[in-house]
Amino acid sequence: MNAAVAERPYGPIPPRSGIGLRAEHYRDLLEQRPSLTFVEVHSENYFGAGGAPHYFLEQARALYPLSLHGVGLSLGSSDPLSREHLHQLKTLIQRYEPALVSDHLSWSSIGGVFLNDLLPLPYTEEALAHFSARVAQAQDYLGRELLIENPSSYLQYVESAIPEWEFLAEVARTSGCGLLLDVNNIYVSSQNHGFDAYCYLQALPAAAIKEIHLAGFTVNRYPDGEMLIDSHNALVSEPVWELYAHAIRKIGPRPTLIEWDTDLPPLETLIGQAGMADAILARETADAA
Amino acid sequence: MLLDLQTDFTAAVFDGRPEMIARVRAGNFRPAQHLQVYRNNVVESLTGALRAVFPVIEKLVGDGFFRYAAHEYLRAHRPRSGNLHEFGDAFAGFLAGFAPAAELPYLMDVARLEWAWHQAFHAADAPAFDLARLGAVPAERHAQLRFELHPSARLLASDFPVGRIFEVNQEGHDGDTNVDLAEGGTNILVIRRGLTVYVEALAAGEAELLTALAGQQSLGVAVEAALAMQPDFDLTSALADYLRRGTLVDCLVE
Repeated sequence: MNAAVAERPYGPIPPRSGIGLRAEHYRDLLEQRPSLTFVEVHSENYFGAGGAPHYFLEQARALYPLSLHGVGLSLGSSDPLSREHLHQLKTLIQRYEPALVSDHLSWSSIGGVFLNDLLPLPYTEEALAHFSARVAQAQDYLGRELLIENPSSYLQYVESAIPEWEFLAEVARTSGCGLLLDVNNIYVSSQNHGFDAYCYLQALPAAAIKEIHLAGFTVNRYPDGEMLIDSHNALVSEPVWELYAHAIRKIGPRPTLIEWDTDLPPLETLIGQAGMADAILARETADAA
Repeated sequence: MLLDLQTDFTAAVFDGRPEMIARVRAGNFRPAQHLQVYRNNVVESLTGALRAVFPVIEKLVGDGFFRYAAHEYLRAHRPRSGNLHEFGDAFAGFLAGFAPAAELPYLMDVARLEWAWHQAFHAADAPAFDLARLGAVPAERHAQLRFELHPSARLLASDFPVGRIFEVNQEGHDGDTNVDLAEGGTNILVIRRGLTVYVEALAAGEAELLTALAGQQSLGVAVEAALAMQPDFDLTSALADYLRRGTLVDCLVE
């Protein structure tokens, strides 16, 4: 199985837009070769040994810089880090030479049982020390920087004593990790918990932010109110575009990813969303110049 | 404490235990409602993971029954890995003992077939057989050759026509979807050729031969077993086919 013969692009990802690549879009992407700055995949989807996933990812990698986005490291868990999981991730990194590697400010397992969800941490001094140490441990093993993404959340713990933005800033400072700023997650959580999304942005260390995520959410309606769910199955919403433009004005341009994981639309829709991000990047950067 | 919070949270999600509720703030909703979002997300995502691996089972039993089965499976078999590809490995065995499915005795074997398909899809690649190397082995040593099957190859035997059940329940299958259980048992090879996973029915001799080879028996021993099972078994054409289509990928010359 010969991969495409194009050059494999190296080096940092320029601060423009890319898309999340799902199996449903492999063939269209490789045929159309749209002008994208990078593609991102979920690392765990490539933990298999061979077959179609690797066949297509090899070809995509020959055309585009790659970001490996993890959903299964369970960095916030009280369990020891999974050596097997880290080993598989390291193998994947060696094979595909991604420009960025990320996972989440969350936990997803305890006592060896995995919940397959990005669960919120209590924002306490104990959790902060634990999480920062784990990020440092993972970075040390992988031999490279990890980006940590702010989660969307649907509850807050009684014992949380530190605002999420301070917690995240402190993780970046003490572990030396970068941040993956998910603007949609900030918006979703701000609506669910009633904080100011703009203050959240203001509190993060701009230099640590190496990538931005944009996605769509859905609204669960109940008799007594609404809950925003980070569902990755819709267009980026207007308030999230506004928050994104604000973020770019504040921190400068960053590689920006359109995430869409379920109810996938045609590839063109994702490319269209990426184009909108590029327009904002160009506009906000020109204004700043 | 982080450890007991995560333990309480997990007990709330999987077992509906109440301890976690007191640790969740009342916000736009009551604490239990906030927690319920995660209970739903976890069960939905894991049910979805099973559905992706076992689409034929879902089609055979229907959405409601599948959800119920997934829910019960989850109670007994929590995911043990952050790599979701491994979730569902015990689903076939679970279905065999699942009382509400007792009237569908073939379900377990269909689930085994779908799990084999899933494993074959993700299995390692293998280079094509180096025929020159095989050609260099003198004929009198052929019986001692130990062949290696493609890493994706999985052999299954069933008392039911599960290959046919699998085939007629594929997306896009048109024509008769009835399968006569009286067709009887079958031997099946699940294997990825190139990027495509195939489900192939095997004659008795072939099944015997491939099972012996997969068990690292020498060609001589495997052929004897195949001929005992099927006296008219045509070794030459079977071997040519396995080499041409990549069923066999390598061999050890003893």
